[in-house]
Amino acid sequence: MVAEAAIELSGLTKVYRERKKTVTAVDGVSLSVPPGQVLGLLGPNGAGKTTTIKMICGLILPTAGTVKLNGYDVARRRPDAVRQIGAVLEGSRNVYWPLSAWQNLLYFGRLKGLRAREIKPRAERLLTGLDLWERRGEPVGSFSRGMQQKVAIAAALITDPPILLLDEPTIGLDVEAARTVKDWITRLAADEGKTVMLTTHQLDAAQELSGRIVVIQNGTIIADLPTGDLLSRYAEDRFTVRIAGPLNGFTGLVPPGARVEAGEGSTRIILPDAGQDALADFLARLRTLGIALISVTQDQPDLEDVFIELVRSGAPSRPEIPERVG
Amino acid sequence: MTATALPRRAGAAFALHTVACESAKGLQLMWRRRATLVMSTVTLALIYLMIEFFVGGGRIDHPVLTATLPALFAYAVASTAATQGAGGIAEELNSGTMEQSQLTPAKPGLLVLGRLGALTVEGLVPAVVLAALLWGGFGLHYTARPDTLVPLLLTIADAMAYGLLMVALTLAVSSIGALMEVFNMVVMFFGGMFVPGTALPHGAETFARFVPTALGVVVMNTTLTGHGLSAAWADGTLPWLVVHVAVLSGLAWAAYGFTVRRARAGGGMSPR
Repeated sequence: MVAEAAIELSGLTKVYRERKKTVTAVDGVSLSVPPGQVLGLLGPNGAGKTTTIKMICGLILPTAGTVKLNGYDVARRRPDAVRQIGAVLEGSRNVYWPLSAWQNLLYFGRLKGLRAREIKPRAERLLTGLDLWERRGEPVGSFSRGMQQKVAIAAALITDPPILLLDEPTIGLDVEAARTVKDWITRLAADEGKTVMLTTHQLDAAQELSGRIVVIQNGTIIADLPTGDLLSRYAEDRFTVRIAGPLNGFTGLVPPGARVEAGEGSTRIILPDAGQDALADFLARLRTLGIALISVTQDQPDLEDVFIELVRSGAPSRPEIPERVG
Repeated sequence: MTATALPRRAGAAFALHTVACESAKGLQLMWRRRATLVMSTVTLALIYLMIEFFVGGGRIDHPVLTATLPALFAYAVASTAATQGAGGIAEELNSGTMEQSQLTPAKPGLLVLGRLGALTVEGLVPAVVLAALLWGGFGLHYTARPDTLVPLLLTIADAMAYGLLMVALTLAVSSIGALMEVFNMVVMFFGGMFVPGTALPHGAETFARFVPTALGVVVMNTTLTGHGLSAAWADGTLPWLVVHVAVLSGLAWAAYGFTVRRARAGGGMSPR
């Protein structure tokens, strides 16, 4: 039996009409996220990430396409679909600052149909786990930014939803608070099998947390791969060759686009886009010229390198990309 | 397999649960801003007494006070419903909690009913306090009749419908604050808070019949001066009040539904 996707987007499109102008924020996005996966939805500002997340939540109506959450169509069966999700939204307080953390959790739990006796043990567990129990009665407005974000996460989790939508959950947090949030996301996915869709501009966090990366630009998906595959695909053709001594007089043999960094007693030549043949040819020429080779390493680009390359090119830079997974 | 995260609750019990939940939140938020509520109540009392002082030619005229106190009561409810209703929605839109509160299996109409429940309490608190203090303080005489409850409840419903209309407009109009000031001034003046509606020129009196709470105040004054509801029915004020409440409620409800759908279509519930 094929497991049903936790999140299923099909031809999702959003066109905003402002006076006589139309803006296509999301353009035919199709995506299937299996249960338990952490998906990083990345893209530059205005790429359509937040609009996508809000369409998944049912807060913005799509112009075309469908969203299904655990099989429930958000447009046709909104109450059932909404029961599947908890969300922390970007640019938003998410919770009521004049109310206490405890009051917020009771409110958001009851709003989704839980009774107080069902909410209280969960709220206690969440607040204790997030180190907020001692201050549960204080207004959230008096908390630090990190604590406020923890309350927002607790509110999203109060109904124990199988799907979490986290739009920039670590934005504005200090290192320690961001670490706590990241640890929770990891734990929720690994231990509790929750499906997480995460948007962030902090690419190191996305790389650390996400099993799969989707890059969106101008409302369309330009990359969709498991994180490891995406990184290794870009690692294939990027090499650093280290030679003994300077490259004096032989700069002409460096392929176009390569970067030369002179060091003490050695020189690093970075070949950003060389195939295996080009590398072999370059090494052969070094050998012919009698230049002593120290090392050849295949660079492992991080997600930031890959993201920048993808976004700069504005389109898939490999024929295999985009390819759908899950 | 389709997983359901939460027990599926629906029907009347869930509707009541949602309304109670939203009302409780509204009252908790009201309690947090109780100092503001006290200040606005004191301010309203001072404005009312100052105007009555000028209307009375340098003294407080008891017959005028008797005739205008029900209008002060109605204005306190209506202006609180409008100001706090629209202000609360604007605050939630700006802070982003509006979006979070929409992530519920409940229909938006239930949420706004709960919100109106809290606003009714928030409006009645200053209204009852002011009415009781001025009634007792100035020794005003009213004929206490149980049938006064009918125009009283209809006036409160009219005030809430006005508040709901302002809430609906807040979702669509970004400069709602200025617009609401104008509407509140109209309710204050034509609702009979400074001079009784019957003392207005004919054209203004006719116009006042369309203003929220104005007809309710006229009918309340009829019963409080010892006449029965039959008198208010016979002079046409009671039937017009019923029509006014029904039309304004329907209009406000439709406007709210429309602006919620419009906001969802255009992303208008996002922080501004």
